[in-house]
Amino acid sequence: MRILIVEDDVTLAGQIADNLKDAGYAYDMAHDGEEGHFLGDTEPYDAVILDLGLPIMDGASVLKKWRADDKKMPVMILTARDSWTDKVEGLDAGADDYLAKPFVVEELLARLRALIRRSAGQTSPVLAVGPVRLDTRNSKVTVDGSAVKLTAQEFKLLSYLMHHEGKVISRTELTEHIYDQDFDKDSNTIEVFVNRIRKKLAVPIIQTVRGLGYRIEWEDDSA
Amino acid sequence: MNQSDNNVASDPVQLAEPDASRAARFIGSLTGRLVMSAVVWSFVALVVGGFVLSFAFRSYVLTDVDKRLELLLDTLIGISEVSPDGDFRFNQALADQRFVTPYSGWYWQVSTEEMEPLRSRSLWDFALDAHHEKRRFSLRYSIVAGPDGQQLRLAEHDIILPEAQQVFHYQVASNMAEVQAAINRFNWLLVSALALILLTVTLALVLQVSYGLRPLRQIKRDLGDVRAGRAAKLASARDPKLPQDLKPLVDEINGLIDQNDKLVQRARTHVGNLAHALKTPLSVIQNAVDGDDSEQSSTIARQTKEIRVHVDHHLKRARIAGGGTGVGLPVCDRINKLANAVAVIAGDKQLEMSVECDPGLMFDGEKEDFDELLGNLLDNAAKWAVSEVTVTVARLEEGLRRPLLEILVSDDGPGVPADKRDSMFDRGQRLDEQMPGTGLGLAIVRDIADMYGGNVKLSTAPLGGLGVRLLLPAK
Repeated sequence: MRILIVEDDVTLAGQIADNLKDAGYAYDMAHDGEEGHFLGDTEPYDAVILDLGLPIMDGASVLKKWRADDKKMPVMILTARDSWTDKVEGLDAGADDYLAKPFVVEELLARLRALIRRSAGQTSPVLAVGPVRLDTRNSKVTVDGSAVKLTAQEFKLLSYLMHHEGKVISRTELTEHIYDQDFDKDSNTIEVFVNRIRKKLAVPIIQTVRGLGYRIEWEDDSA
Repeated sequence: MNQSDNNVASDPVQLAEPDASRAARFIGSLTGRLVMSAVVWSFVALVVGGFVLSFAFRSYVLTDVDKRLELLLDTLIGISEVSPDGDFRFNQALADQRFVTPYSGWYWQVSTEEMEPLRSRSLWDFALDAHHEKRRFSLRYSIVAGPDGQQLRLAEHDIILPEAQQVFHYQVASNMAEVQAAINRFNWLLVSALALILLTVTLALVLQVSYGLRPLRQIKRDLGDVRAGRAAKLASARDPKLPQDLKPLVDEINGLIDQNDKLVQRARTHVGNLAHALKTPLSVIQNAVDGDDSEQSSTIARQTKEIRVHVDHHLKRARIAGGGTGVGLPVCDRINKLANAVAVIAGDKQLEMSVECDPGLMFDGEKEDFDELLGNLLDNAAKWAVSEVTVTVARLEEGLRRPLLEILVSDDGPGVPADKRDSMFDRGQRLDEQMPGTGLGLAIVRDIADMYGGNVKLSTAPLGGLGVRLLLPAK
């Protein structure tokens, strides 16, 4: 999952970034509205954390511009402007969630997880495909109840696939969503990761769709 | 209903007050001063006029009497003769019954220094003082004491009759009682007429002053409307009947209101900026110590939280405008938007939010304030509800001085026990420390409701959870 943080306070942005990294997200940072808008416009993000009071272009304008250009990624507004009028306006501008400063990181992460799940059409915080269960709250993966240890990159990849269960995901898309902007993208590493995950899970839920990418699906053989 | 409802409907100014202070207020008032000063002057003028009139009438009546006395005197002199042997007599009888009846009120007397005075029979045993030592050969009038306690108007003349060596002193008198009665009658009439005039003038003055000051009272009412939030500006400014001399005053007051609005607006903007400036660093501090269990970090975390509560409270309070806009805010549209926002922020919780509201209902106040009120109430309800939140809005008018909006927000959550409800309005009070929030929601709701002269009450909702009944001014 790849997140865009648009926040002009560098310290706060850094804190959020550290927490996102710890929680297994890839992220990009922008410190003004213009840069933020550009990144959101050109890169595929799974969610955006957007401050309203930004230099050059304010957050509400950035959001309105994205929505006008049909950018549909979920956006969480993070702002000190916590009056209900501000909240209504922010949501009217096309935001999907609203978090007032000062906030607790746990709440930010919980809301972010829920936001990503909802936008992918998932309702439960525990994603399940066949015997595989991925708990978005604590990043734990189990197969038939027993825990499976995954590296951070492996978890990111599996999580992205499981959020989009049943859909074919190209390698490029996977690369874009599990690495941040500065990462040296090499789609061959994706194949390596997928193979490692397949081995660790030991259940065939990741299918290769030749020439297109991967798809997560559980075909119940016993049925 | 209940006590707090009465607060909304009653107006302290309309309460009865003691008569004494009312009279004092009247004298101190502009109306009082104008009327009182005019009445005092009218009174003085009327009294002086009354005296002049009374005096004039008296002289007129006396002149009339004096003329009759002079005529009588002339007649008396005309019929007098002195016989060759020096005897004084009348050559003709003075045939008038009035001079015969004792104490009739009409008298005559002729005297010399030596002679026993000749007197009318009506004088009976009384003699008029002849004052021979002060001889004057001209007609003169005076008022003297007469018989039977009468007051007499006396005309006297000293004459030297032909063939006589002596000076004859002629005196004719008439009782003043009749004259006095006429004067008294006149004076009584005069006083009544003047009193009537004074009364009429006072009444006219009161009417005139109250008519003249009516624009001022209108301005006062308009100002009251502005203060109560029923109007944004003095309506008199647009009144074509407003007197020219008051227009500058009204315009100045409106200018002042404008300036005040601008100041409030600026203060709100500053508050918003301050909020932004403070909250980002607060977030940074909070996140920096988050998850660190050292004593220092937990102290910082605690104090940061404390700062947050204070900042939130004062910033939110400062944002409250608490006044009518004169335009009115469509309530239903706003509640739906807020309910939507609350549902989004509530996140995964599957809530059924129903809003029952007539689209024509208007709130007489600022959008920001209404948003804070309903946003906090809905947010609170959404936090505690199991699955359902309902909002109903109704307009109350009957028996009220001004129309009110009654907004009921109910949830199907655990509710609040009756004995804990009052403390729910305290700043920082939270029933469940596990729930997110600063515990400011209901305190702010009450603050805003108070600013609008409204009222908020907690009860048990029909759904089983907390029911909040909010009363606000309707437009």
